[in-house]
Amino acid sequence: MTSPFAGLLFTLVRHRGVKGCMVVDERDGVIVDANLQLGVDGSAMAALAASVYRKARRAAVAAGFGEIAFFELDAEHGRVCAAGRGGLVVVLVAESRVNVGLVRVEMLHALEAFA
Amino acid sequence: MTLSVAAEWVELPLKQFVDEARVRLAVLLYPSGQVLGQFGFGRSVDVMTACALSAAISASSAELGRMVDGTPFTDLHYAGREKQIFLGQVPIAGGSLVLLTVFDDESSLGLVQLFFREFCAVTARAVPSSNAETPALSDDFERELNHNLAVLFGRQ
Amino acid sequence: MTDDIRALSEALAMDPASTVFVQLGELLRQRGDLDLAYRVGTRGLDRHPQRADAHDLMARVASDRGDMERAKAEWEAVLVLSPGHAAAHKGLGFLCFRIGDWESAGKHFERALAADPSDASLAAALRAVRIEPGAAPSTRFATPPAGEMRSAVPGVAPRRADPRTLFAEVLGDSARTALLLDSEGYVVAGAHAADGGGDRGALIGAQLSGVSEEADRAMRHLGLGRWRQIVFEAESASVAMAPAGNGVLLVAAPRTAPLGLVRRILEQALVRARQWLERGT
Repeated sequence: MTSPFAGLLFTLVRHRGVKGCMVVDERDGVIVDANLQLGVDGSAMAALAASVYRKARRAAVAAGFGEIAFFELDAEHGRVCAAGRGGLVVVLVAESRVNVGLVRVEMLHALEAFA
Repeated sequence: MTLSVAAEWVELPLKQFVDEARVRLAVLLYPSGQVLGQFGFGRSVDVMTACALSAAISASSAELGRMVDGTPFTDLHYAGREKQIFLGQVPIAGGSLVLLTVFDDESSLGLVQLFFREFCAVTARAVPSSNAETPALSDDFERELNHNLAVLFGRQ
Repeated sequence: MTDDIRALSEALAMDPASTVFVQLGELLRQRGDLDLAYRVGTRGLDRHPQRADAHDLMARVASDRGDMERAKAEWEAVLVLSPGHAAAHKGLGFLCFRIGDWESAGKHFERALAADPSDASLAAALRAVRIEPGAAPSTRFATPPAGEMRSAVPGVAPRRADPRTLFAEVLGDSARTALLLDSEGYVVAGAHAADGGGDRGALIGAQLSGVSEEADRAMRHLGLGRWRQIVFEAESASVAMAPAGNGVLLVAAPRTAPLGLVRRILEQALVRARQWLERGT
């Protein structure tokens, strides 16, 4: 049985450098659906990425900047991108070489499925 | 909020868990209800109550799992309006322990599960071999229970 | 320093006529709380207009705020009350130096040195501004740019510019913001002007510093190394953050600014922040 998110996850994970993509419940930090390469700890990624995204979202609202549309964390050995709506977050983990601009556009487009 | 333990080896794993998972309350106990360590509680009577209820819930759910699924249920999660609880079995050599934790919006179920897994791994390594046999409900149970509570709350 | 400020504030609150306002104002100035230092100094000066050290405090605060006219007036008031006051002559000497009046600067430095012969920086300043036979002063040192007392005089410690304006050159557009935060989320430099006036930097810094803590924890457990940058697009702003010293640097720009531009501004502000943290200028 495929979830309603399987298609958008497949589209995102096809990009060069993407190691995994998942839809996560923002509050619980648990995976709703995922498409991951071998070796990616999805549950840890989901919990921690959702936590950072949620913190950033709340901080942005409290600081007067409004709701977050797109979030990106760039680390020494990879990137984590997140975009959320309605309590669900699309989380993408990738190598540093990923085309973030393209991934961003696709992730924002994917949010329309959450409406 | 302070962390206190009845046995030294409990301190490191329990502190690591509460720091990383950012939970409000945590208590580690034997399945019999005897406390080993606690974080966030202010009164010994609250710890005693939490331990008694946790031990009972853990035993009941294990039995329910055997009846329903052929294998004991181990972890339990309940989400309230503002707070949530997680009750998990911590496997150690020769038996298990029980960890009860209460958390709010500062944490999440996913984070608690993640750091609980790490807690189990660290605890399994930290527990002394002499502790491998979890104490059965003995004649000295009440005395040992009171002793542990006294140690936790600095009265001994 | 925070404990001293707290204790002095409490003492002043208990006795508004106390002269601790001078010490309190100076500590606030050193910490970069210039508005607060100004208010404390002004109230104190209202009660103690005959105190030379109160006028000296106001002069220092005015100088740090870029109000050179006020600084000059206050140091001159000091000298009326306490002729030969070393700090006042020193301050006036630098003001004269800034506008290229070497002769007056030299006279003030001489008087300051006479009052305080142990001040090596004064001796160096005096050597620098004394006109050598045949050498025009304008060929020796470039006039420091307006708004900042740079160390064009060798061996003289520069008077710090207002840390709130640390990133002014990098930001350009006043609609953009850069804040340097310490490890506890306090603003160290930079400011964010709110629409209705006032500085919302402290609020923004406190809220967004928590994001870096979350990122630190996530990176510890995900095996991705240390985080280098966080960027997010919100409804009214695009924000970029990076580790800086023990804290965090964040840059915010209107939502219409391209993300790539915001990242570039962050990188430039980071260079500026590191320079300031290392050298204090």
